[in-house]
Amino acid sequence: MDYPEHLKYSSEHEWVAVDGTRARIGITDYAQDALGDVVFVSLPAVGTPVVAHASCAEVESTKSVSEIYAPVSGEVVEVNAALETAPEQVNADPYGDGWIFVVELRDPAELDALMDASAYRTMVEEA
Amino acid sequence: MVEFGGWDMPIQYTSVLEEHRACRTAAAVFDVSHLGSLRVQGPGSHARLQAALTNDLDRIAPGRAQYTHLCDPDDGHVVDDIIVWWLDADDYLVMPNASNTDRIAEALGAGAGAAVEGRAGSVVDVTATRVVLAVQGPQARARLEPVLPAAAAVPRFGVAPVTFGAVEGYAAGTGYTGEDGVELHVPAAGARAVWDAVLAAGIVPAGLGCRDTLRLEAGLPLHGHELGPGITPLQAGLAWVVRFDKGDFRGRDVLLAERERGVARRLVGIATEGRQPARQGSAVLVDGTAVGEVTSGNFSPMLGHGIALALVPPQVAVGAAVGIDVRGRTLAGEVVTLPFWSR
Repeated sequence: MDYPEHLKYSSEHEWVAVDGTRARIGITDYAQDALGDVVFVSLPAVGTPVVAHASCAEVESTKSVSEIYAPVSGEVVEVNAALETAPEQVNADPYGDGWIFVVELRDPAELDALMDASAYRTMVEEA
Repeated sequence: MVEFGGWDMPIQYTSVLEEHRACRTAAAVFDVSHLGSLRVQGPGSHARLQAALTNDLDRIAPGRAQYTHLCDPDDGHVVDDIIVWWLDADDYLVMPNASNTDRIAEALGAGAGAAVEGRAGSVVDVTATRVVLAVQGPQARARLEPVLPAAAAVPRFGVAPVTFGAVEGYAAGTGYTGEDGVELHVPAAGARAVWDAVLAAGIVPAGLGCRDTLRLEAGLPLHGHELGPGITPLQAGLAWVVRFDKGDFRGRDVLLAERERGVARRLVGIATEGRQPARQGSAVLVDGTAVGEVTSGNFSPMLGHGIALALVPPQVAVGAAVGIDVRGRTLAGEVVTLPFWSR
């Protein structure tokens, strides 16, 4: 399993890439592997306010549906529309083309509550 | 791996979608040892099965297999759907679903019933002694031919003895994928060698995950979804499995009454727009009103959109526009002819 060093991680298996006041968000390698083949992603609408730890999207595999929880609060400013026709990108490239949405941060201090790569790795490996 | 009916089963070996496509385009092998195997042998076996099961064994003969149901005598619901392999005169393999084997054995008169006069034969649960492998797909027979030629040659719904070295078992031209293929019933002690040889022949191992998506595309019922408590064979669209003209059998009276009255609901296929799968329990809507319920739903890898089986009132027929409520979002759908996908 791959957990890039430059990302932050939530206990609900999302990753966050911070760029200024924006956070790009997706699900981790661990999460995509546990879900299996993703066949549908229910994206939030651009402009939607999201609240940290609240459900804001869904990822469905052939096996099950999983909620995506916003790791940080703010407003959705961009979504990965390519997933509407190619949701398998979530499996193939979870940290790249499989990104799900971008949030304009409301409270950058929330980032401090997220894990770094080694803490996240420890969490999933002990699970 | 997941626990399934007391068995540890792989959901997937690599990927549900890859395994699904391998079965549709080439060949895949499933370890389906979780099915039960009851060996029914001796005098009275034919009468014992005819009295319990809904289909008519007299429509086939030794060396053939038949899909059949065991129904509840009181309300006619499908206690289990079963494949019977008629090996030889007075010698049958009865194969129910994982969790139902004891119930079926009891219904066939194993134990106390075996002593009843005129039922001198035996019903023995041999599940723990053997492995069942389903080799399925358009290339299944071609790839099996060098390894198990007798299995590769078994006709559709035929049953034949097969050998692999010192391993002696049976093969049947049956399956649960909508593809051509065969199922192998071999002693557990020799099964590893057969499995290895099947894989070496270029047949891809496939798990429970794609077994479900394959059977759904093929419109085949799954016990616990399309069959089970409250659901009769007639409601499930499987009237052909119930042979009223063969004489008495468990559930005949109540099923005959339902046929005369007309079914209150019926299983249909619904194709939905977009990729989002409907799931078991989702409401089926006509003009915004809930009229029925999805029994199984998923994404169809071959069709690229959602497909679902659902129980709906009989007037909701092929061509009807319906909605499916999936957690508050309504998917647009249309009732379509089953199977969703066929070769």
